[in-house]
Amino acid sequence: MTVLEIMERAGIRDTNLAIAWIKDAVHFIESTQTENLKVRKLNLVKNQRDYVLPADLISINSVSVLDTEDDNKYKKIRRMVGEHYVTEDTNP
Amino acid sequence: MSYDTSSNFFWRMNGQQMQMYRYRKSSFLTPDVSGRVSADDDELIYPDESITNGIRVEYNAFVKPFISADPNTLATDSSETTWTNPTLTEVTSPEETSHVNLNRMLSLACVCFVQAQNAAKDGNIQMKEYYMREFYKKLADNESNKRKISIAFPSPVSSVR
Repeated sequence: MTVLEIMERAGIRDTNLAIAWIKDAVHFIESTQTENLKVRKLNLVKNQRDYVLPADLISINSVSVLDTEDDNKYKKIRRMVGEHYVTEDTNP
Repeated sequence: MSYDTSSNFFWRMNGQQMQMYRYRKSSFLTPDVSGRVSADDDELIYPDESITNGIRVEYNAFVKPFISADPNTLATDSSETTWTNPTLTEVTSPEETSHVNLNRMLSLACVCFVQAQNAAKDGNIQMKEYYMREFYKKLADNESNKRKISIAFPSPVSSVR
């Protein structure tokens, strides 16, 4: 469906405003439905806790870590909730 | 060497960043202030090794919201085995002739969303709520379209046809 078709159906005359709202709608749809899944890989770095995520990310579907002992399979890991006892261990 | 990563690693979000932790089970026995000896708490530590491409993130992305061709029609469709999808080139400066990169049902949901925002702009909150309900209904229809389930019942051999 073109932008013009959406504008005509919605009774909108302002193209820029319609495009802005359509972008909002697409963002809303992407954040609640699984429409465009992407996969990106990052290097796991020793003693580094924080990792920058891709800028086009809307919501995370899953995070996996490479298991080098099990035929290099990516295994899904769990998300942490709540506060935990965390140690910054620079010499583990 | 990483092992059993599904139970040894955890992640959480902190603003725009993702934090990675490794679970370490403690084997130490530590005396508390009363002199009682108890097992130390297990703890989460920062990742203790480097792995190239060690983290795989699967995520919903904001991909090509506007494109140059209709995504809901085939580019060529001559037979059951000979067909091609259109080439979806992103339009960075969208115009009225640009296509929205959504299927037909989600495009109709998009219409409802635009109508809702327009009603909100005019201060008509009741109409806004109505159109947002229609928007959610169409999102639900789109999801259920992906989950068509057919159930087959075996017919008894003695059944009369």
